Amino acid sequence: MPHLEISDLITVTDPRSGARLPVHRGEVVHRLREAGDRRAARIVAALPADRHDVLDPRAVDRLMIGVHTELQRLSEELRLGERLVHVLGPLFEAVRATVPGPLRLVDVGSGLGYVVRWLAAHGPLGPEVELVGVDLDAALVGEADRLARAEELDCRFVHGNAFDLPEAATVYVSTGVLHHFRGPDLAEFFRAQAASPALAFCHFDIAATRLAPVGAWVFHRTRMRHPLGRHDGVASARRAHTDETLLHAAAAPGMRPLLYEPRGLANPFCTTLRPIIGVRPELEAPLRRALGRAARRLVGPEQLVGAAR
Amino acid sequence: MTPQDAAPALAGALIALGLVDSAFSGFRAYAGRDARIRKGRAVVRASLRGLAVGGGLLLAPVFTAGAVLLAAADRHRAYAALAEGGIGFLVPLACYATAVLLSLAAYLVLPFRASTLAMVAGLGPLTLLRPLAVAAACAGVLVRGAGVSALLVGAVAGAAVLSVEPLVHRRWYAVPRG
Repeated sequence: MPHLEISDLITVTDPRSGARLPVHRGEVVHRLREAGDRRAARIVAALPADRHDVLDPRAVDRLMIGVHTELQRLSEELRLGERLVHVLGPLFEAVRATVPGPLRLVDVGSGLGYVVRWLAAHGPLGPEVELVGVDLDAALVGEADRLARAEELDCRFVHGNAFDLPEAATVYVSTGVLHHFRGPDLAEFFRAQAASPALAFCHFDIAATRLAPVGAWVFHRTRMRHPLGRHDGVASARRAHTDETLLHAAAAPGMRPLLYEPRGLANPFCTTLRPIIGVRPELEAPLRRALGRAARRLVGPEQLVGAAR
Repeated sequence: MTPQDAAPALAGALIALGLVDSAFSGFRAYAGRDARIRKGRAVVRASLRGLAVGGGLLLAPVFTAGAVLLAAADRHRAYAALAEGGIGFLVPLACYATAVLLSLAAYLVLPFRASTLAMVAGLGPLTLLRPLAVAAACAGVLVRGAGVSALLVGAVAGAAVLSVEPLVHRRWYAVPRG
């Protein structure tokens, strides 16, 4: 049975126009029941809908903002910002050595924009890196923008497609987005970046370890209040892609795929999220130099079999 | 030193533990409801709210213990039983609190990778086990043979500390803010 996340089903946006599409509650409930997930079906059945059984978009938006706010707590506790900078710092150092001028980091599927706002608040990448968060969910983008303005943070948020921005990204990043892409969509996601002018990408997602679903259950049980957040948190850990899947999908023409802290090299208690990195081939050597000793945690597809042993 | 001699110190330790737990409960009631990046002052305010609510709720076991003593035919014996119960109640909680404080220290001091270990193996599961720690404390009262009256005081104290987080949450943090 496929593991479905409720949040994927109750918010549907046209990727081209960015327009919100109506979602019929009964259809979502039916789909979840068919997937054998009665608990998720009950959660959706309790959401408010109009007389045509279309989910109330304002109620869904409030729910999504609430769940993402709770979700941010896990990112804070797991020191996601520091975890990112540990890799992004050397990555931007390598990029700066190759490309002069202003740089742009684009966070794909930025949600409430925690990563972008954290980077803006702490400034570890330097002032010449423009920080942009992009998401298809207008409500989340609006809330991210409101939060950034409330704290006067130097970053911006865009509602739309991250690969269709008027100004090109230098580096694409994301956190917790990859497991939402299934089948050919995952490789297509990486191909879109390889085809763009971007020099690198760095996408963090849940490490697909045996511990991940148990850990996700404990943390979402203790830290999140809404049943939707608890459900989706565990489902996302179950949907996490294996190291092999990520490296295979990220092998787009013109990009060198590298996995940081693969399963065979990392302690699953210490590595809850880790990135798949893609760099233009000429950037690999500078990146390894900038990482220093930490470069030993970086493996390409050809090394993965040996590292996993 | 007999348990009766140690009773004031025991009571003080239990109340101190309850107040520290209340401050953490206040923090937990707030955490996850505010998506701002800089929120040090809000964290302190939430902890103080937990402390205030916990301070009020912890009067319940104090009054219960007082009522037990006043109602007892043999106050000396009742006092001894409460002191025995206090030891039985404190030991499991002290073990739990030590584990929490060690995990917290590791989380705050160590680099991010090791702090994740402190969170994943320590603070996360320990939060989930908190009601069980209270249950173990009540069982400790029975193990010490302190009797039903002491168990009643322990149960009221346990209910008080477990109520702080939901009360603070409901009063101040039911709606996410930023």
